[in-house]
Amino acid sequence: MISEEQQDQAALYVLGLLEPDEAAAFESELGANAELRDIARELREAAGGVALTAPSRMPPASLKQRIMREIAMKTKEPAPMPRQRAPLGWIPWAIAAALAVFCGLLALDRVRLERELADIRAADPLMQTTFFALAPSAPAPADAKATVAWQPGRQSGVIRISNLPAAQPGKDYQLWAVDAEHKDPISAGIIRVDKNGVAQVRFTPVEKAEHVKAFAISLEREGGVPKKEGPILLVGTT
Amino acid sequence: MVEETAQQIADREMILRIGRGDQTAFSALYDRLSGPLYSLALKMLGDASDAQDALQEVFVQIWSRARTYDREKSSVFSWAVLLTRSRVIDRLRARGRRLRVVGGSTADEDERAEATYASTLETASDTVNRNDEAARVRSLLNNLPSEQREAIELAFFGHLTHHEIAAQLGQPLGTVKARIRRGLLKLREQLRT
Repeated sequence: MISEEQQDQAALYVLGLLEPDEAAAFESELGANAELRDIARELREAAGGVALTAPSRMPPASLKQRIMREIAMKTKEPAPMPRQRAPLGWIPWAIAAALAVFCGLLALDRVRLERELADIRAADPLMQTTFFALAPSAPAPADAKATVAWQPGRQSGVIRISNLPAAQPGKDYQLWAVDAEHKDPISAGIIRVDKNGVAQVRFTPVEKAEHVKAFAISLEREGGVPKKEGPILLVGTT
Repeated sequence: MVEETAQQIADREMILRIGRGDQTAFSALYDRLSGPLYSLALKMLGDASDAQDALQEVFVQIWSRARTYDREKSSVFSWAVLLTRSRVIDRLRARGRRLRVVGGSTADEDERAEATYASTLETASDTVNRNDEAARVRSLLNNLPSEQREAIELAFFGHLTHHEIAAQLGQPLGTVKARIRRGLLKLREQLRT
């Protein structure tokens, strides 16, 4: 029997909305639960259907030519067989040719693997992430805190807040990126904490912020403001 | 055992042939899928040139990953849709741009896009069939309770995390998760009838 919570996780999983650790945990659960796999497949089919609601458009014909050319380049032509001169006399030559091809493929594979390794290193999120610890300033509670994981290359980050009570009616908390190349802090969106004073939100600043020195959270009018007006509650640098 | 429609079986056979290096099958699958996949990419990216680049990446991935396709996980169509969505999201992250989503492309984008939508590759019957299916899905989606439809659209086209969707809708996280799940399951049930 699949619980509603498992179904919820399955729906988020097929849409790619789970955090990496949640997704890994769900995948191991999927591996051991055939009924859950069936639900996940049903949900994937429904998600696939949602794509059909996008306004119908066709790509230009030239795109197919471009793609077919790329595919053709990726397809290796089979090596021509050597002409048979004498019964079985071709065998040593075929072995030598096969070894040569094999060595060539190994060399190519090594180059490809080295490139992939370089890509993976470049793509490693941890190697591109800067962490900011935000500490409270009055009037925030003394135990309020927040941590920001910021990826300048992707211009996105995740903030986790704890022990910050919900903003009073008519107010919202707003996140700001303090960037060396911008005169004013750049808004990174509204953040709402839950009843336990916790929030975990992915954000993207409204303007490019390549030299972020600090992040701050202020209390603003409901819905947020384009330029900081209210008091700073949490602020922190790397 | 997974139940398949005739179209899904035909798609699967094409993928098997593509896995063996059959360019004719690849060309046929391109003709069948490029319209919906391009429409999805264009809606999420809002830029025709970007959408074409994304589509090229997707089809090259289909070519190289055809042998890894698993019919137990999804139909070929859904596999390709989720592959496209994933590539588009990677592009959006890379360019660090805020999404323009859900409400459809703007009039300006439509004008630019119209100039390039010149493909005559798909057959008339494919177009009619796809448009019929799209109209049916759109109608089914519109028949969902508005809060379920809104949550699904934000999750699918908006690339917002469930936390962000909850924040945007001003609803508890559990409520948002349940709306997405109920909406998707209801949509799936209706699609099968």
